[in-house]
Amino acid sequence: MLDDVTPDKPVLTLRDVSIEFPTPKGIVQAVKNLSLDIHKGRRVGFIGESGSGKTTTALAVMQMLAEPGRVSGGTIDLGGTDILSLSEEAMRRTRLGRVAYIPQGAMNSLNPVMRVEPQMWDAIIAHEGAVGRDALKQRSDIALESVGLPQHTSQLYPHELSGGMKQRVCIAIGIILNPELIIADEPTSALDVVTQRQVIQTLKDIQTRIGSGLMMIGHDMGLMAQTVDELAVLKNGELVEHGTVQQILEAPKHPYTKDLISSVPLVGGDSFLNPERNADAPKRISSEPLLRFENVRKDYGAVAALQSLSFTLHGDTPQIISIVGQSGSGKSTMGSIMLGFNPPSKGRVLYEGQNIQTMNAAQSLEFRKNVQAVFQDPYACFNPFYRVDHALKFPFKQFGLAKSEAHSQQAMQEACVAVGLDPDLVLSRYPHQLSGGQRQRLIVARALMLSPKLLIADEPVSMVDASLRASILSNIYDLKDKHGISILYITHDLATAYHVSDFVMVLFKGNVVEAGPPKEVIGAPQHPYTRLLIDSIPWPDLKRSWGDGRADWDPAKQEVAALNAKTEYRGDVPGFDLSKA
Amino acid sequence: MTSQDNMPMTRAEKRQARRIRRFDNPWLNPKLIWGAALLLAIIAIGLMGRLLWNLDLVFTGSTPLKLPPVGFENLRGQAGQWANPIGTDGGGRDMLALIIIGAPNTLFVGLLASLIGMSIGIFLGFSAGFLGGRIDDTIRVSADVMITIPPLLILVVFQSAFGDVTLTMMAILIAGFVWQSPTRLIRAQVLSMKQSGYVQMAQLSGASTSHIMFREMLPNLIPYLFGSFIASVTTSIVTAVGLEVLGLGPQRIPTLGRTIYEAINAGALIQNLWWWWGIPTLLLGVMFIGLLLINLGLDEVSNPRLRKLS
Repeated sequence: MLDDVTPDKPVLTLRDVSIEFPTPKGIVQAVKNLSLDIHKGRRVGFIGESGSGKTTTALAVMQMLAEPGRVSGGTIDLGGTDILSLSEEAMRRTRLGRVAYIPQGAMNSLNPVMRVEPQMWDAIIAHEGAVGRDALKQRSDIALESVGLPQHTSQLYPHELSGGMKQRVCIAIGIILNPELIIADEPTSALDVVTQRQVIQTLKDIQTRIGSGLMMIGHDMGLMAQTVDELAVLKNGELVEHGTVQQILEAPKHPYTKDLISSVPLVGGDSFLNPERNADAPKRISSEPLLRFENVRKDYGAVAALQSLSFTLHGDTPQIISIVGQSGSGKSTMGSIMLGFNPPSKGRVLYEGQNIQTMNAAQSLEFRKNVQAVFQDPYACFNPFYRVDHALKFPFKQFGLAKSEAHSQQAMQEACVAVGLDPDLVLSRYPHQLSGGQRQRLIVARALMLSPKLLIADEPVSMVDASLRASILSNIYDLKDKHGISILYITHDLATAYHVSDFVMVLFKGNVVEAGPPKEVIGAPQHPYTRLLIDSIPWPDLKRSWGDGRADWDPAKQEVAALNAKTEYRGDVPGFDLSKA
Repeated sequence: MTSQDNMPMTRAEKRQARRIRRFDNPWLNPKLIWGAALLLAIIAIGLMGRLLWNLDLVFTGSTPLKLPPVGFENLRGQAGQWANPIGTDGGGRDMLALIIIGAPNTLFVGLLASLIGMSIGIFLGFSAGFLGGRIDDTIRVSADVMITIPPLLILVVFQSAFGDVTLTMMAILIAGFVWQSPTRLIRAQVLSMKQSGYVQMAQLSGASTSHIMFREMLPNLIPYLFGSFIASVTTSIVTAVGLEVLGLGPQRIPTLGRTIYEAINAGALIQNLWWWWGIPTLLLGVMFIGLLLINLGLDEVSNPRLRKLS
């Protein structure tokens, strides 16, 4: 149905575009001979992992390449204008007027000391000179209305808006001059799934209304399938495949495209894990349960981040407990309370019968040795001053596991091999020389070396390229499967939670709203909030348009319903007791 | 856009290649090198002079009075002579000997004062940032209060009460006024670093507080510490020279500031004895330009965004 649109003159024509960055170690070809058309009213997705040249291409269209990058060959034609030959002043008029750029982090793109309205006026005045105040006001109100924001938003400061609202303000600024082309650079990567669906729908609506071309950059195949008409797959600066979404999803030709599609875990789909056997949990001397929450509650001022919660994790059989929820649901707070970084406002956290807030030094060291973590941001986890082996070797020695220098060296190498890294290649590097995926694997290797009894994995793959997520998750899964480590998996991604976990808790505004085995909770959700989350997952499947495809999708209404609904308990697993409130 | 595969490099390209190399190794920063060279030159004057020049000429009356540098004439019509190449002062002291002893002394006061000040700053900054709570409040408030007190005012009172002071004593007194800004700077850095992933990782690894402070955080602060150190050397020298020019510095040890004080006191400006006050002023200028260049260079080293390729 999309193919029969007769394309008129393309809005954007890229012909043999090459972009290079001169560096001390020679010239880096960021984009190689890329040719592509974007037609009026069409949505074209650029997909590829970080460093594949998708953002670089978009910036070249805006003539905003960071120094010392330059377009070394080819032509960029925007609706009949040769972009590369424009003067700086003509280019300034073209930006926003004809090409609008919607940035990745809307929170950093708005001026924090200006109200929303004057920021929108700035855009008009910069292109059209003096415009009357009434006209300005009228146009900014129309733009805000068109992205579904109430009128009083114009008088607010950016910090008074939520992430989704800020991104919509950015969209409103982007379309205020009716551009021919909108470039959206991962516009929802900082938002959670529910907000993501809302923002993408806004973007699609408005793009259809003004009839411009859309260039959407991203790395999530599911989101792309729900958003764009055509897909361009980039790898190492080369366009490896280009076609309609349907062609690419149903019959991908390039192996990399196939990888990208298969790396998206599906609820109910085939598992990317192969659970061969279950290792026994490490022998425990204490008869007390491994971890127990006793009416733990956390308040930040008047806001309750976590409502009174009690559970017991026995730790005699290794298990993966998933905690899912949107940002702000209290799931990360729960993780940091478990690690003892954040004292609970009420209640106690007991590790083998000891309150973790009142431990002495020896007990604390024992607790640290046995409760380890994998954090969200692999880029921040390594001290830039040291080689990466410091992060592995130091705790190994600190916990008295190292018998000798050679022994810790050997343990590091074995751990690296176990997570699929070549120890000779990575261990003697500095953190900035490794990719995010390699760093996150090293953190998993670190956990493996220390063989704790409990591992808290806080969004371990959300900052890693999509194509690597499955393999890192299976590394984590192996920790339970082969090494008998119990894992608390904190995530917003229901599909992965469905596959890896033995028990799922859905958190909403600090309350557990649904809990039970994943096949029940995620496979057949009963609580309105769980259903809302599952409806918001973008599926890499055209027939399944964002959940079950209901047109009357209204998250606000569902959230109200969720607040009133009572908690659903969908069954128990042995070794984990959640006390029912 | 033509391809330049087999063409020899043009001059512009060679220059570009050189810039890129410099970009790669930040320590090859021209500002840093020039600044260090200027300071080393002053230290070299001090060291070489001690070997090559007769330092007894620094005593009063050891040479004729008010002789001009070689090639000039003073108001009495006396020409400069090679025995005193840059002239003599009103007390019959050789200017070259004064400078050989005085210039390193001035630099020494600055370095020592800021070394002490920085050590206090590092200790207090880390304590405030890392321990937080009441300790943080106390340190922050006292640093803020100290910043508002003009140091010269207090030092003038101190120095006049002590009478004659040694160089070390003066450095210690000045150090009491240069610890505040490093304290604040380090506190701010520590606060932001405390939230970083690798500090959390170290906590998870069971690291002690001192390990986290000095092995995980401090190495990453080195560029800031250097910058802050150089800035406080400048402040210390300005303060020291200020006191000396007021006649409040060490009375028996030659320094650049004291030489200027004596020149002003003896009416060198009216008598057109420009070499008496001019040469020490020039050396102080060179010292400050050197420190400024080092500071700018270090800024570019620690903040890659300031480095430009073109």
